[in-house]
Amino acid sequence: MNPTDTSTATHPAAAQADLPYAIELVGVNKRYGALTVLEHVDLEIEPGEFVVLLGPSGCGKSTILKIIAGLEDASGGEVYIQDRLVNYVRPKDRDVSMVFQNYALYPHMTVAANIGFPLKMRKVARDVVAQRVTEVAALLELGQQLTKYPEQLSGGQRQRVALGRAIIRDPVAFLMDEPLSNLDAILRVQMRSELLQLHRRVGKTTIYVTHDQVEAMTMADRIVVLKDGAVQQIGTTREIYSRPANTFVATFVGSPQMNLLPGHIERRDGSVAFVGVVRIGLDAAPPVEDGTQVTLGIRPEDIRLRSAETPGADAVATVRLVEDVGAEDFVTVDIDGTRCVVRVAGHGSVSEGTTVALEIPRDVLHVFGADGTRMDPAP
Amino acid sequence: MTTRATRAPRVRPERPAPTLRERLFGGGAAGEPSRFERALYHLVLIASCIVLVGPFLMVISASLKESGQLFEYPPRWLPFPPYLGQYEKLLTDSAFPRWMFNTLFVGTIVTVAKVFLDSMAGYAFAKLHFVGRNVFFLLMIAMLLVPYGAIILPLYTVSHALGIHDTYLALILPPLCNPLGVFLMRQVISMLPRDLENAARLDGVSEFGIYRRIVLPLIKPSLVVLAIITFTDMYMSFIWPLVAVRDTDLQVLTVGVASMRNMTSVNFSLWSAAAVLGMVPLALAFFLFQRQFQARSIAGALKQ
Ligand SMILES: Nc1ncnc2c1ncn2[C@@H]1O[C@H](COP(=O)(O)OP(=O)(O)OP(=O)(O)O)[C@@H](O)[C@H]1O
Ligand SMILES: [Mg+2]
Repeated sequence: MNPTDTSTATHPAAAQADLPYAIELVGVNKRYGALTVLEHVDLEIEPGEFVVLLGPSGCGKSTILKIIAGLEDASGGEVYIQDRLVNYVRPKDRDVSMVFQNYALYPHMTVAANIGFPLKMRKVARDVVAQRVTEVAALLELGQQLTKYPEQLSGGQRQRVALGRAIIRDPVAFLMDEPLSNLDAILRVQMRSELLQLHRRVGKTTIYVTHDQVEAMTMADRIVVLKDGAVQQIGTTREIYSRPANTFVATFVGSPQMNLLPGHIERRDGSVAFVGVVRIGLDAAPPVEDGTQVTLGIRPEDIRLRSAETPGADAVATVRLVEDVGAEDFVTVDIDGTRCVVRVAGHGSVSEGTTVALEIPRDVLHVFGADGTRMDPAP
Repeated sequence: MTTRATRAPRVRPERPAPTLRERLFGGGAAGEPSRFERALYHLVLIASCIVLVGPFLMVISASLKESGQLFEYPPRWLPFPPYLGQYEKLLTDSAFPRWMFNTLFVGTIVTVAKVFLDSMAGYAFAKLHFVGRNVFFLLMIAMLLVPYGAIILPLYTVSHALGIHDTYLALILPPLCNPLGVFLMRQVISMLPRDLENAARLDGVSEFGIYRRIVLPLIKPSLVVLAIITFTDMYMSFIWPLVAVRDTDLQVLTVGVASMRNMTSVNFSLWSAAAVLGMVPLALAFFLFQRQFQARSIAGALKQ
């Protein structure tokens, strides 16, 4: 027996690597007249992966889903589903199901008919449809609503019907456009874990759109951060959070936002430092010349507050604002006119108007060039 | 914490003085009509009912008389015993049943065909992309501007040329070309949210299926309106049927009834009976269609 055969057969991970991408976008553009909505989007999605598209309103998230589903034509580029070019394939033959951002429920059909519709249209036997509808409704806690019409449902219930209509089929991939955006906080968290469990159980490739970073970070295998129709960064939650590719990603992900301090690089006697409102020696120095303009990024939780007299502190600052968010305080300090937010565990350790010292560890710094892209060397 | 006693007193505005309307007509909270106002409304309603219903009653009353009784003085509103001879004569000894059949036959075919054709054309104009869509649509709108009288003669010539003169086709085909329905349907269908069709497309529905399973059920009230407009229009139409057919067997109700005065001397009672019987199917159609006016609000389709 060929040893390579055994290895692919016995290791699911290795076998997976040989599978075609579930979905692949190659250089996809989208224009509406003169307006460019998507700019050369490349995206490869592994089978079974849960990918989240994250970005501000109007950045083209829904457009990407619609292009994958075939509801909009790409102006350029190629879309593959399981290694098949689908640019010229009709939506119903692409074998993806979608939850629309605005639900798009059929108003003249009951909940049961709405959920069962995709199966009915695919000529599935009536009793099978009824059984699947019951299962899905139970999963989504819609059992009591089956005979109602969409107009008789609450927003959250409508959203779950839209989900049900998508998951009743067994497509190559689920495309979900902000499926939880209209639920109240409790139901949202509950549905989030339901969706994740569902994903773990069926392992269905999912592209999930949201502009809620917490949702993105908790659910995603990988996050795709978008801005103005261009991909900013693709990576796991950890990668996106700890190594943001540019200042946009750095500030878009994380709450409160990462602090950005303008300044320049100083090279002297073999040591490198950032010089701005603070002066900080850099261990891992970016390969740039003395005097280069840069932006230093520091996450609020990475800064330590010390009492004003602490020797060897990196900066001295005045406390401007203390926001109590329960488990911790968000403290806004003022370093020579530049504002910085610091997360402090517990409550009440500092009060507004006092002077404090800041300590900034060297291993958590992010350095961005003048154009905003990350410039520190890879670790 | 300040206690209630140490705080500034609450602001409690006086109830506003009654307005002139309230003082004249009574009535309290905003918008509630007072008893007097209600009586006034009813008075107006009753008066307009009399004005509107009166002529109908007069025609009905006339139809129940022998021709001799018609001009009696003082007039009797309800002849007793009512004389049914006019109706008998109409139904057994005249072409009236034939005219009625022709009107209903032509009207039904045109209505059904128009509802079907106009909604399909409206769907195409509203939702599909094809070359010349806007040009075609403008042309159709332009047709709305041409007065009917201006095309009667050309229509007559064309129907002769096609060899359909003096056939049912001459009554059926020209009304199908009225663009009003297409316009109406396009407006209604273009209001339907695009994602509804998109969802259906993903669910595996064909383009015709979207029209039949999604669009048609949702625009049902408008279809009913179109059907009623078309049917009444056909029922009442006079000029074109008068021109289009000469054969008395093909004449429709309006043309037939109008020709009754030539048959014998003018029998106003018989005429009234024809008018009354002529109203029955239209009234029935209204009552039947009326219940179809309701459809599921599309409000439930989308987020808030
Ligand atoms: N049919 C259209 N014609 C012109 N521009 C359009 C059309 N559809 C979308 N756009 C534009 O494309 C851009 C991206 O839209 P898209 O719906 O993909 O945004 P999104 O990321 O989903 O935003 P949101 O989070 O608000 O849903 C927007 O600027 C929008 O105005
Ligand atoms: Mg969107």
